[in-house]
Amino acid sequence: MNIYNFKRCYMKKNLFIIPVLLVLITIFPSCSKKSSPVSNQVIVGIDSDIESLNPLFSFSGYENNISELLYLKLVQSDWDYENGALIYKPMLAKSWKWNGDSSAITFYLRDDVTWSDGKKVTAEDVVFSFDVYSDEDIQSKLYDTFDNFLLDKSKHIILDKTFEIKDPYTLTIKFKKNSNPSFIDVDLPVIPKHIYDKLDRKKFITLEKDITPVTDGPFNFTKWDKNQAIILTANKNSFLYNPKHIQKIIFKIVPDYNSRLTQLKKGEIDLMEDVRTDDLPSLKSLNFIQISPLPEREYDYIGWNNIDPEVFKKKKKIVPNKLFGDPLVRKALTFAVNRQEIIDEYLGKYGQIAFGPVAPIFKKSFSNLTPLVFSLDSAKFYLKKAGWNDTDRDGILDKNGIKFSFSFYITAGNPRREFASTLLKNNFKSIGIDINIKKIDLQVLIPKLFAKEINAWMLGWVVGIPLDLYTFWHSSSEASQLNFASYKNNMVDKYLEKYENVKSEKLKSELAKKIQALIHKDQPVTFLYWIQNLIAYNKRIQNVKITPLEPIHYSWNWSVNK
Amino acid sequence: MNKEIILSLTKRLVTSIVVLLLMLSFLFVLLRYSPGDPTQKFISPKLSSKLVLKIKESFGLDKPVLKQYQSFLINLSTGDLGISYTYREPVTSVIGRYLPFTVIFSSLSFIIQISLGLFLALYSIKRKGSWIDTFIKKFSLSVYALPSFVTGVLLVYLFSWKLNLFPSSGLKSFDDQSLSFFGQLGDYTSHMILPLITLSLGGIAVFYKYLRDNLDETFNAHFVMNLRSYGVTEKEIIKKHVIPNSIGPMISVAGVELGILLSGALITEVIFGLPGMGRLAINAILGRDYPLIIGITFVSGVLIILSNLLADLVRAKLDRRIFQGMIN
Repeated sequence: MNIYNFKRCYMKKNLFIIPVLLVLITIFPSCSKKSSPVSNQVIVGIDSDIESLNPLFSFSGYENNISELLYLKLVQSDWDYENGALIYKPMLAKSWKWNGDSSAITFYLRDDVTWSDGKKVTAEDVVFSFDVYSDEDIQSKLYDTFDNFLLDKSKHIILDKTFEIKDPYTLTIKFKKNSNPSFIDVDLPVIPKHIYDKLDRKKFITLEKDITPVTDGPFNFTKWDKNQAIILTANKNSFLYNPKHIQKIIFKIVPDYNSRLTQLKKGEIDLMEDVRTDDLPSLKSLNFIQISPLPEREYDYIGWNNIDPEVFKKKKKIVPNKLFGDPLVRKALTFAVNRQEIIDEYLGKYGQIAFGPVAPIFKKSFSNLTPLVFSLDSAKFYLKKAGWNDTDRDGILDKNGIKFSFSFYITAGNPRREFASTLLKNNFKSIGIDINIKKIDLQVLIPKLFAKEINAWMLGWVVGIPLDLYTFWHSSSEASQLNFASYKNNMVDKYLEKYENVKSEKLKSELAKKIQALIHKDQPVTFLYWIQNLIAYNKRIQNVKITPLEPIHYSWNWSVNK
Repeated sequence: MNKEIILSLTKRLVTSIVVLLLMLSFLFVLLRYSPGDPTQKFISPKLSSKLVLKIKESFGLDKPVLKQYQSFLINLSTGDLGISYTYREPVTSVIGRYLPFTVIFSSLSFIIQISLGLFLALYSIKRKGSWIDTFIKKFSLSVYALPSFVTGVLLVYLFSWKLNLFPSSGLKSFDDQSLSFFGQLGDYTSHMILPLITLSLGGIAVFYKYLRDNLDETFNAHFVMNLRSYGVTEKEIIKKHVIPNSIGPMISVAGVELGILLSGALITEVIFGLPGMGRLAINAILGRDYPLIIGITFVSGVLIILSNLLADLVRAKLDRRIFQGMIN
């Protein structure tokens, strides 16, 4: 029938495919090259693009890492493994001298540092940087953090009373009376005055495109293909330059975790962070991959709202939470969480039970307390002691007519926390507590926590360096917005205030231990486990320094095996 | 007739503007009342609550929603979609950076979907009832059922990891500037092969299914037999009668499909790390970047309306009755 004719007339049409195929075949072999890493460059796989190259607004971890490679600071932080503390090394400042009572410091700057446009870096740039970072109109990432400086009403540093430029390379910074200054106060990337001074400060935040990255760091900015890659090239004029070290570092944006992993295995990228433990066997089978755990400074915890959220919302009054207001109850709840099972399932040897807010990396401040061991019997005992019984025999504990039942919030998309919450639900059910797990977006959960409007949640924190306990555990709501559990213990408050003001590291460590002991006793939250994040990198990279700081830190010292 | 066409197009334009305005207004209100706070990411733990208010003020979020809406409408009328909270740039320039890639990528995928769908449908129908026809039918159904994140990962595993034929992600190589023009073209091509396959497979199956069924029906219609009895050549019947009568419904589907494609292909863009509108949209949503979300929705809305209009015009060109319908 007609099919025959049909075939004949369309046979000719099909011919167009042949030249297309020929073109494609000729193009493919030229582009389907095997991944062969370029000898003097390193490609770091990251999961999302940065939003700004401007150090004033580098809010995310990657933005900070990249801005540190582009802009020098007066001093460079490093990690002292022996003492478990932050130390500072010379960078833009080649040396410094504190005055007798540590209320002022004089920095002697290097005279061989130039901006990428050839201008010298001087003390004027440093003063200008402090001026800009503390300017209310600019709202930099560091605004309102210069507590140890003399400030005006808008929290802007009073420049003429604070800085004294003796010569272009000698600068004295005078701190506020009775303050407790340290290098953290001067730990900021210095920006070029001759570039930023031309711009309208009120419009700084919208001028990302107009600010040329004129830099003075170990790397120069080369290219930023949005959502593709950020390319930095070694700055040959930098005093940190070494021709034997890497000449280029590329941050390649690969949003999908599995794609990043494939690229690492293929050699398309050289380093990636946050490797999942279930991918370790496949990575370990590749002899060119090195896996290194970063020292633990991240933990998951279960938050119990210590105050009644409804009363707080309606009357702004603080009354103990009907369920979690009693420390005995919170202790019982911690006994009912099988933390080891979660670790065994998800973290293996890269996790350890947590019992307080001080990370094990702070060796001198870390207290050797014994964590509460999972025991449903102990949980039942303490609940009974706190007056919770199943009087109506419906399987759920009650007290004064209130059932022990609550909503438990977790963030969606975190398999470890989802597993932990399911385990928690089962364990709690067996001691007569009913929980209703609610998965919500982190962006939705955080405002709820700030408003103190939920009863219980699971979240994680990355402990800051240097150790900051005040912001998270002091009861004053204005000073410590991140005390989501509204924990209050007058003794802890007193120790925290002391901790903020003492200068002696020894005394600080002692206070930290006392605070941990009190928090352990009160169990304002249930600390779950410390997590060692895993990084995997190609063994061709040499001199990778694994510290609690980011692995990219000091990457100008990396070299590659040819 | 020209007057009628102009009137019809004007009507359509006005309707489209009203639809867009309603959509954006609804979205504006929805965003303001949905949970989440766009200022959160800019607030460091140590900052005081006063500064939080200051940041909100700088975003204009301290004003009542009605006031915010008024200024939004005024700005929109001047073509100003606002400043993105995340990128600290005008929304139009952020979108302008991502849109060209999406337009090229989606158009390529669309052309592949249409041409391969048409080719397979014709290939299949001329072998109607044979094993190859049955195979293509079943296979296309399986392909359609396969989610693109599975297809993408499978393709990367096979062609990138196992066979090492194509790069697994990105738009181009870092050293592409050292390549010749053809080298760069080849580099782009090699990067685009797997994403294009991932994005196009489902669409090919849809177009194949629509076309094959329609071709089958038209081929056996009385008017086709009539034409044959008058001695019209088979080539002419297919070209002038069978195809035009079969592709009408497919063009409507194509209009919708093109609009969706132009709004961004999130999953494909994420798997292959491509800089398109889909990724931009999801990042804007996760970051509660209100002006950017509205800007993207606006652009996507315009593209969907335009692609549907285009589809209608193509259909009208092929069939005068539809044209009359459009005018009426």
